[in-house]
Amino acid sequence: MDELTHGFRVDEAACDGCLACMRACPTYAVRVKHGKARVLSQSCIDCGSCLKACARGAITATTRTLAEFDHFAFKVAIPSPVLYGHFPLEVRPEHIVDGLLAAGFDAVWDYGIDLRLVTLANVDYVKRWRGPRPVISIMCPVVVRLLQVSYPRMLEQLIQVHPPREVAGREVKRHYSQELGLAPEQIAAIYVTPCQARTVSILQPAEGGRSYLDGSVGIPQVFNTVLVEAREAARTGRRRSEWSPVRSADVLRLSLRRPITELLTKHRYLSVAGLPNVIRVFDDIEKGKLKDFDYLECYACWGGCANGNLTVDNVYVTLAKLQSLMNELPETDPRTEEEVARRYPHEDYSLPRAPQPRAAVVVGDLRERVRRKRKADRIAAILPGLDCGLCGAPACKVLARDVAAGEAERGDCVFLSRQRLEELRRIHRRPE
Amino acid sequence: MAEELLTCSFRVHGRDFENAGEASTEIKSLLKDLEIDPQTIRRAVVVAFEAEMNVVMYADEATVTLVLTDEDISIEAADSGPGIPDIEHAMEEGWSTATDEMREMGFGFGMGLPNIKRNSDLFAIRSEVGAGTVVSCRIDLDDHG
Repeated sequence: MDELTHGFRVDEAACDGCLACMRACPTYAVRVKHGKARVLSQSCIDCGSCLKACARGAITATTRTLAEFDHFAFKVAIPSPVLYGHFPLEVRPEHIVDGLLAAGFDAVWDYGIDLRLVTLANVDYVKRWRGPRPVISIMCPVVVRLLQVSYPRMLEQLIQVHPPREVAGREVKRHYSQELGLAPEQIAAIYVTPCQARTVSILQPAEGGRSYLDGSVGIPQVFNTVLVEAREAARTGRRRSEWSPVRSADVLRLSLRRPITELLTKHRYLSVAGLPNVIRVFDDIEKGKLKDFDYLECYACWGGCANGNLTVDNVYVTLAKLQSLMNELPETDPRTEEEVARRYPHEDYSLPRAPQPRAAVVVGDLRERVRRKRKADRIAAILPGLDCGLCGAPACKVLARDVAAGEAERGDCVFLSRQRLEELRRIHRRPE
Repeated sequence: MAEELLTCSFRVHGRDFENAGEASTEIKSLLKDLEIDPQTIRRAVVVAFEAEMNVVMYADEATVTLVLTDEDISIEAADSGPGIPDIEHAMEEGWSTATDEMREMGFGFGMGLPNIKRNSDLFAIRSEVGAGTVVSCRIDLDDHG
């Protein structure tokens, strides 16, 4: 199996072993050993809960700068619509295009068309689907990875349609190689991302294979330059291009978590945001509930993508700005619809392969695993069950499992070992 | 001869819709802890879930027993229910005696038993009207278990 790519790094020197990230991790992927956090790659779903929980700034997203794409002949920005909610109201989307060009991109992509195309593909998918319901939206890469790690049984319910950013990447390569006479490899399709999970999904798609995109830059990486330049363009009225990538309200819908639901008026849908809520709903589906719903849209971040971990502004402000932008725009744009009608029947939007369960590395034959499980059950029975986390594992049953696997010792529990308590005192002693 | 490695059983109560699915959820987490192949877990959980739902919908009390050997997983649901008068009918896809109330909750579409059979490598059902029903299934493990 290929090694998994993840988007976060723990700076050992800055980590003070405070347990906050371990407690925040929804998939029990963090352990704290000798006062330092470490992440178990197989269980990490790139949600970034650890990043948000770390008060010391010891966990950082591994980001790229635009300069790292300089070896491409032509760089095209595919900005997440969330970007357009990041600027003062007088700065219009067309000014932001100006800012992106000033930041070093050679072109800004008309992403609204891809969003519409994928919306139609999703609606058709839901209407045609005859398998177990509800089908689950593939938009949020964290949700896809959560299914791979914790709910492999439900993977078949995942909508097997490319997310819009991938369709955009494919079309960017096709369009510009034709227009400029360049090879597709010379053109960089770069997503401007509101979250690190998308960065990871481009580096290593959940379904395997290769992304159509060449990489991404986070909103924070371009924000300052774009802000200065876009403001200047708004103030002087001097612009490199008159063109706006946001001509209709429907382009912004996804970012406001109000996407394709109005197209599914005869269907029942659920929209869920926030990882703990998503997990609760998935647990219900696994218990056979919610079969009456046709479509389930989930986002790991409770504010949707506007609250991603690579955004700059306060989520409420971003949402309010996107909403006010939406209010001024017509619902649809005739030019976009024309292009959508032309392209939709001729393109394939389906994923080349279905995302597979992320199997853990299996150690030992079945007999040995049963022995290990029994041992874990015996150890769990003598642990206090308080899930205090002082042992460095997020829950007593996780410590029991780690001990049975030889990865921890029962003496790591402060209830069972005085030495452990003393060790913790040493590690966490406050300066006099 | 297969060697028995682990046995566990769960009580399931008829009409207890609130806790419906708990036994199969526990079976899932047990098999996951044992690092059984996800596709096998999937099949076992579908079998356990449908068997459990049949009990919840139609029977009074049942014991769902899971036996793990080094070669296969057996799941047996033995209930003290009304029994099935016509098993051949019950095995047909879409044939159901579910009430409107059950259907409103999203159950009882006549796919339960066929679904169990489809996901088992060996399937047997015996039933006596007035006494109860026993559904027995076996799912073979692949090489790595």
